[in-house]
Amino acid sequence: MIVKWQVQRLLHQMRHSLAAPSRNPRTAVVLGRLLAAAFLACFFTGLYSHFIQDPLPGMQFLTRPVWLYQVSQGIHITAGIVCFPLLFAKLYAVFPELFQSPPVRSFPHFLERASIALFVASSLVQITIGLLNTYQWYALFPFPFRQTHFALSFVVIGSLAIHIGVKLQTISEHWRKSPTNYEPDQDDPDAAFDTPDELQRLTGKPQAAGVTGRIFEWIDKTPTSPKPETSRRGFFVTVGIAAAAVVTFTAGQSFRVLDVTNIFAPRKNDTGPQSLPVNRTAKKAQVIDAAMSPSWRLKVLNGSEVKTFTYDQLRRMPQYEVVLPIACVEGWSQYATWRGPRLSELVDAVSAPNSATVRITSLEENSSYAVTHMQANFVRDDLTLVALELNGDVLDIDHGYPARIIAPARPGVLQTKWLSSLEVLS
Amino acid sequence: MTTTPVRGSTARPPLTVIQRWQVGLIALGIVVLVIGGVVLLMDVDPSRYLGIAVWFLGALILHDGIAAMVVFGISVIMRRVGRRIPLAVIAIVQGALVVGAIMTALVVPEILKKNIGSANPTILPLDYGLHLVLFYAGLAVATAVAIALYLVVARRRSAR
Repeated sequence: MIVKWQVQRLLHQMRHSLAAPSRNPRTAVVLGRLLAAAFLACFFTGLYSHFIQDPLPGMQFLTRPVWLYQVSQGIHITAGIVCFPLLFAKLYAVFPELFQSPPVRSFPHFLERASIALFVASSLVQITIGLLNTYQWYALFPFPFRQTHFALSFVVIGSLAIHIGVKLQTISEHWRKSPTNYEPDQDDPDAAFDTPDELQRLTGKPQAAGVTGRIFEWIDKTPTSPKPETSRRGFFVTVGIAAAAVVTFTAGQSFRVLDVTNIFAPRKNDTGPQSLPVNRTAKKAQVIDAAMSPSWRLKVLNGSEVKTFTYDQLRRMPQYEVVLPIACVEGWSQYATWRGPRLSELVDAVSAPNSATVRITSLEENSSYAVTHMQANFVRDDLTLVALELNGDVLDIDHGYPARIIAPARPGVLQTKWLSSLEVLS
Repeated sequence: MTTTPVRGSTARPPLTVIQRWQVGLIALGIVVLVIGGVVLLMDVDPSRYLGIAVWFLGALILHDGIAAMVVFGISVIMRRVGRRIPLAVIAIVQGALVVGAIMTALVVPEILKKNIGSANPTILPLDYGLHLVLFYAGLAVATAVAIALYLVVARRRSAR
């Protein structure tokens, strides 16, 4: 039993010494609002990206604005990066709660602490695997990234709702700034033990005795800051600068205006063949022979109606030029000029109805994106091309030579490269 | 018209607006959590659950066990030196250390992965190690300027 009171004494001492002007419910509420906004932005943009790749029956997606997916996914990744300083700050603000004593007071209290442990762990794991995925460091994941990241998003948002529910009283009390809401939390769980006197009696040790007692006495000798507002202001300025820094130095991969300060993002605009980054190379996709072969044909099918197009035949069709972004699920994006025949005119050659969707097949094998589906509104869009040229030149093999799909407001993984066939589905 | 008899002390007080919202939010949270569990069951092979559990435990140990203790130590030491150095200067130095630490945490894995190698040269194309050193240098200069500015302003203020 004595061990229990010893532990409790230590927890109480730690909690006491962690009291700081920036650690109060108001700070937690201010940061919590920002963090919740960032989490929700990540959640909804993530759902958009998930369902545009795997739509549920009946789901429809917009083709305009052309930058819709680019901006949505850019926000997903950038807000995810901003979560790092915000989450660390939030955890710092509520730090003394970690040393609550006794650690568990009742069954509801146990549930509350367990839900917070789940919330903290899932949030940390979620943003960390998201970041590492943009570095393509898949070897660190003993699980499939996409499915796990998707499932965890519900765990994080569910825990967030529970957390807001549990803390709603505190949140509403500290929602607006007032002179009283910087007071430290009155709900001291140690109060019941009449600490430190009662703990002193139970452990048989004066408060300042023993190794920890002496250390904490030494700490407590320091008078608390005469200017708590300096400490609080410094805290918020630090969080603001950290958030601004991570955005300034990484968001250029998604938002061109910040390209000049992009020194830390895993992608940089204007790198790669034809000044455009690549995710999967022709070599990796093992398509070089098939793509370079003179016998390459684009097969367009509608039931039993089949037309094949040689590269030269595609070039002799009316050519259209569009300026569209390629926007990766990993957040980077870049505009480029694409040229080629319209997809709608190709499928019209096999008398596709207006409402038809198209199954697009790549020469690539062994990829979950080798076969994709395009909904009718994208097929019929004037900006959707079977692109043969990029930025004024023939497509580079790594960008999908001889022909690739380019459509507005779609993720890069669905802009199928190294086309092999287009199949009209009713 | 009938009236319901009041059952005196056994009647519970009605829920306040906040309590109703609390019940609603917690119920919503449980529903969303269950969706997450179902997605996990359907989309992720059970043989991978152990790996996810290891990551969760690792996050808690890294955060609550190591990072929290380091921050605890630093804040305690900072509180002690607080007697000799002006508070604002400490706040500026602390802030700079925090900004540097967060950027380090984000960029070091990038440097490590770049050294291991990328699938193609457009993934991790920059010299992140050099950039991080430049960032530290910039941060140090900005911190020094901020401290100098503060000291000048503080001296002028006290001279008045």
